Amino acid sequence: MNALTGNSLKISRVNIVSKKFQRHSPSGNSVTLKSPNTSTNFQPIRATVTGGADSGETHSTVLSTESARDQLRPDMAASPDVTDGRIAGISAAIRVIPDFPKPGILFQDITTLLLDPKAFKDTIDLFVERYKDKDISVVAGIEARGFIFGPPIALAIGAKFVPIRKPNKLPGEVISEEYSLEYGTDKMEMHVGAVQAGERALVIDDLIATGGTLCAAISLLERVGVQVVECACVIELADLKGRDRLGDRPLFVLVSSI
Amino acid sequence: MFAAETELKEDPRLQAIFEAIRVIPNFPKPGIMFQDITTLLLNHKVFKDTVDMFVDRYRDMDISVVAGVEARGFMFGPSIALAIGAKFVPLRKPKKLPGEVISEAYELEYGTDCLEMHVGAVQPGERAVVIDDLVATGGTLSAAIKLLERVGAEVAECACVIGLPQFKVKLDSVYMLVFHLPFNQILTIYLFFG
Repeated sequence: MNALTGNSLKISRVNIVSKKFQRHSPSGNSVTLKSPNTSTNFQPIRATVTGGADSGETHSTVLSTESARDQLRPDMAASPDVTDGRIAGISAAIRVIPDFPKPGILFQDITTLLLDPKAFKDTIDLFVERYKDKDISVVAGIEARGFIFGPPIALAIGAKFVPIRKPNKLPGEVISEEYSLEYGTDKMEMHVGAVQAGERALVIDDLIATGGTLCAAISLLERVGVQVVECACVIELADLKGRDRLGDRPLFVLVSSI
Repeated sequence: MFAAETELKEDPRLQAIFEAIRVIPNFPKPGIMFQDITTLLLNHKVFKDTVDMFVDRYRDMDISVVAGVEARGFMFGPSIALAIGAKFVPLRKPKKLPGEVISEAYELEYGTDCLEMHVGAVQPGERAVVIDDLVATGGTLSAAIKLLERVGAEVAECACVIGLPQFKVKLDSVYMLVFHLPFNQILTIYLFFG
């Protein structure tokens, strides 16, 4: 864990720790590999945050250990996966901020991962290893945190990078896809001509929650004849069932949390 | 300074980078010639060359922080950070960063805007590079520099793919790969040296 120990921010232990790692067998079914159960992988989750972006007050929020334990998935013994060490470091580097952007939400903050060069590199390497021989010519990244992970992956696998953006950001001619929010709708846009029919694409974002933005991005690409090979995210919020919303489109995540 | 003013003067990569940038007239409003780097990102070789040129420049400068300005700075900064072993720090518009932040206001043509950085992301004494796709007036870069200096970091240089000629803010150290002039326009260029 990095140096985010300034006066007003204390993380006793970083969050969520269900290291579920999904792989797809050649037949296309998804298989869940569980990392071995070692005592170091599971600790009570406690995030203490003092201070807030918009107030001078200090408050601390402690998640109860009991509810934290409910969130931990007991592992079945398995032979050590060579990627385990990297996943543990990645998971540990993600910071949880309670009640952001609104009360009751536990925000998964990847900025702390970006402050850890080894963990950040491991994150990219895990994606690159998976995709480099899959004939992927397009990496589409979703604004704005998809812009952080997408380009390094694209550069490493020889693909182009295509930003998928909120409305009115892209300057040229665009196609738009609307998607539903909890209240109302929003839109994602992609430049006309960025991708060609028949190209094989990945869609990247830092996190999948309900899957709404990922679905919109997939639609944009499929509408112009691109094959979306897989969606890839660092984090999955499993109980929001984004995976279901993606339907039969494959999803690959590094860390899954509830 | 522009890359063409250094030993990279004849480097053919610079011409390819220049040509890969698309100019969109009248975006976001009439009279503005928007420099679109998305076409550069579609060309793997040119995108890689862009990143490599920054990496070559900064790898031996003892840089531990690459700070990228939202959102197009995010497209270049992380790759540079990864290659030189530095951390990546996103500098964002208000209310995007979830943790405690420090803010710096800066002027727009009409009104002001604000750039934020997480508290604790950068330590005093660290050496930083600020990255964005383009520098025009220098207002955003100026705010970025202030955020880093306020926490005791040293900004070694700002790095942008494109430089435009209308600097209004004095910036000691900006390194730009290519220079774009708006075409089809009668130009009056104001260069302010503070």
